[in-house]
Amino acid sequence: MFALQLALSGLAQGAIYALVALSMCVVYRATTIVNFGHGDLVMAGAFVVYLLAVLAGLPFLAAATLAVVLLFILGLLIEIGLIERIKAGPHIGFALMCIAFGYLLRGIARAVWGREVLPMPSVFNFPPVFLGELVITADALVIFAAVGLLLAAFFAVFYRSSAGRVMQALCQSERGAALVGINVRAFHGVMWGVGAALGAVGGVLLAPITLLHPGLGASFLIKGFAAMTLGGFGSFGGAVLGGLILGVAEQLVGGYVSTKLIDITAYLVIILVLALRPNGLFGRAIAEKV
Amino acid sequence: MRFYLIPLAAAAIPLVANPYTQFMVNLMLVYILVAVGFNLVLGNLGQLAFANTALFGIGAYTAAMLMAHAGWPFWLVILPAGLAGAAAGFLASVTALRGIRVYYLAIVTLAFGELLRWSYIHGERATGGTDGLAVPRADFFGIALDSETARFYVFLLIVTVLVKAVSNLLRSRIGRAIVAIRDNELATASLAIPTGRYIVLAFALSGFVVGIAGSLFAVLIGRVIPESFGLIELILHFAMVLVGGLGSLFGSVLGAVVLTALPEFFRRFPGMYEMFFGALLIVFLLAQPRGLAALAARWWPQLRDRYYRDR
Amino acid sequence: MLELKDVSVSFAGLQALSQVSLSARAGEVRALIGPNGAGKTTLFNAITGYVPIASGAIMLNGAPIQGLSPHEIAALGVRRTFQNGGLFGELTALENVLAGLHSRIDASFAGILFGTRAARDAERAAVARARELLRTLGVAHLADQPVKSMSGGQQRTIEIVRAVAAEPPLLLLDEPAVGLAPPLRAQLVELIRRLAGQMGIAVLLIEHAVDLVMAAADAVAVFNGGIKIAEGTPAAIRADPAVLEAYLGHG
Repeated sequence: MFALQLALSGLAQGAIYALVALSMCVVYRATTIVNFGHGDLVMAGAFVVYLLAVLAGLPFLAAATLAVVLLFILGLLIEIGLIERIKAGPHIGFALMCIAFGYLLRGIARAVWGREVLPMPSVFNFPPVFLGELVITADALVIFAAVGLLLAAFFAVFYRSSAGRVMQALCQSERGAALVGINVRAFHGVMWGVGAALGAVGGVLLAPITLLHPGLGASFLIKGFAAMTLGGFGSFGGAVLGGLILGVAEQLVGGYVSTKLIDITAYLVIILVLALRPNGLFGRAIAEKV
Repeated sequence: MRFYLIPLAAAAIPLVANPYTQFMVNLMLVYILVAVGFNLVLGNLGQLAFANTALFGIGAYTAAMLMAHAGWPFWLVILPAGLAGAAAGFLASVTALRGIRVYYLAIVTLAFGELLRWSYIHGERATGGTDGLAVPRADFFGIALDSETARFYVFLLIVTVLVKAVSNLLRSRIGRAIVAIRDNELATASLAIPTGRYIVLAFALSGFVVGIAGSLFAVLIGRVIPESFGLIELILHFAMVLVGGLGSLFGSVLGAVVLTALPEFFRRFPGMYEMFFGALLIVFLLAQPRGLAALAARWWPQLRDRYYRDR
Repeated sequence: MLELKDVSVSFAGLQALSQVSLSARAGEVRALIGPNGAGKTTLFNAITGYVPIASGAIMLNGAPIQGLSPHEIAALGVRRTFQNGGLFGELTALENVLAGLHSRIDASFAGILFGTRAARDAERAAVARARELLRTLGVAHLADQPVKSMSGGQQRTIEIVRAVAAEPPLLLLDEPAVGLAPPLRAQLVELIRRLAGQMGIAVLLIEHAVDLVMAAADAVAVFNGGIKIAEGTPAAIRADPAVLEAYLGHG
């Protein structure tokens, strides 16, 4: 029972990790770039919703929607304004650029909020659900519902719609897509926007249940990586499953071994997976062309 | 021989500097080593490794723990600090060798660094936890390093020796092999160059240099705390290498000298440090990605980093 | 010197090479021709250890080399150029050629580290030899220029200089004439004939330019769809109906 309860709260956390990982994966699959500033975009989503909901007094749903839209625009602008401009350089340049704007976002957040940690008042005030002895909190319920719907929508669009087929084609071969007349640059911009928006949803769901501080980004970056690595780098389904498994693993480790280890479970997962099964659970190996 | 003119000229600095300025200069010396070491892996080998703060911290903690717990004099802990860094660098290279995917190295080294910091925080008596360890008075072969001037001359000696060593290695077939791997690893193998060996060498050498920098840092600051070796510190390392010039030894020195003093200005205003360095990196990536060294080389071509020796 | 017996290579279900047998002799230039995708570069990759072979054997001077890593095979005296250019872009022409001399420079790690006389002498000798090589091929003026700023033709030349710097007994040239203007092509033919004739190097040459092949090669092997469909002197190949079909069938 104890294990199941832990697993349940782990799933709620894991659902957010799944979102973060999925959003990173979207950017990676669409532009072959791993966004090292992604955690900070998630953090930005959380802070923006805090700003709008607590300081500007907007109702939560409106604040959340606005935050997601704003982050979509931010992602788009970053891609067009910064990433596109260094297309010609080495991959190290992209990584440094992502780190750089991540730090910039963190700095802005810290400048506005100083050294405080921000508690956000609880948003979802309906009573928890009881399944026998298991407690599912209101927050957890909302997270499951929101993430579940979002994932369903995402996979439906990507794998079943014609827009999704276009996206798949673009992920496979940009040259081919360009030859057919598809605007690859616009695609890149939009996918960054989508990635940022998805990450922002994660941030929005996070805000009511976590103490917010500007350094949040770093821990979410690592969890996103861990989830992607566990599930197989580049696999959407893998990212989601990896996130869920990571969330559960953290809670189980914390409950059965030591709470001190919760923070580093993600790091251990990364190192273990890469040492033992580098392609993760569902990953693909990529050979290099001579 | 021209190389030694710079340290020789620098030896005059204590004559004109007050203790605070001298402290800054000493800090610059430490960061010269940090940047030189980081650039070996990031710029010369071209690998995206996030291990630098981890290497820096291992060197610092090794030195501090040996001095505080085992009573070793400073001059004796320098080599162990370097070796600890080299061992960590070697571990990082194992991931690079598996060549699984470009970003895996970055992620693993990031995870490794944070794991180390976690172990410093939870190391209790051994590492002093979040309060860290106080570093006892440093003894260099009988000379007590308790003035900034004394530290300066010892640091200058160590930095000069190490930078010259790195310069020798870069301007040889070893340096060429390392850069070749960066530019085209497959073609490098076709020239009978064992790429694995040189990747490990670059990482181990980087770790050695940065580890020693850590030991100097420990003595300079007087205390080692986990917070000094986290992601905030890492962006300073990245900035020095990028602003100075990726892959340029001369650039590493430049970047360190130019940027070391800056964090001091930003300590008072929360967020200014991250905003400034984030913006600085962005500006350089857009406008001058090859750093100040490339700018200097455009005006004085003899400053261009060479990978061979004529004499 | 080089002997391939019934070599087959496959990727992801695709049969890139089927039962290919080929040999290369010292002092001889053997050209490999055929449409794109016929497996010629794959053959080079198999010989130099970049792709594993599914069956067959590759022998260098009687010893099997299949399964060895690329740098091990190179250490046995095999050098190559790459279809998409294999130069080290950030380095100068001189530094690239010096990289080609890597295995010939007798300087130990300690020697380099401490700047011993022996290490410095070895380096100086290598630099002199590299400059000499560049001079012989008429590109001495490019020595201190970063190769990424050079024209395609210049880059191809430097890549060849780098490949022959260590005097390899076996040389594989992958489309060395791409992007070369006609006068330079004539020079290239002369260079290839000199490498084989004067230096006794066994040369395997992948080329699309028929005129170059006819002028430079002693023997020609024709490939199509991963199979060697013909082999003989340039004149014989030119008249071979199977060859004509392979080429005509691919516009």
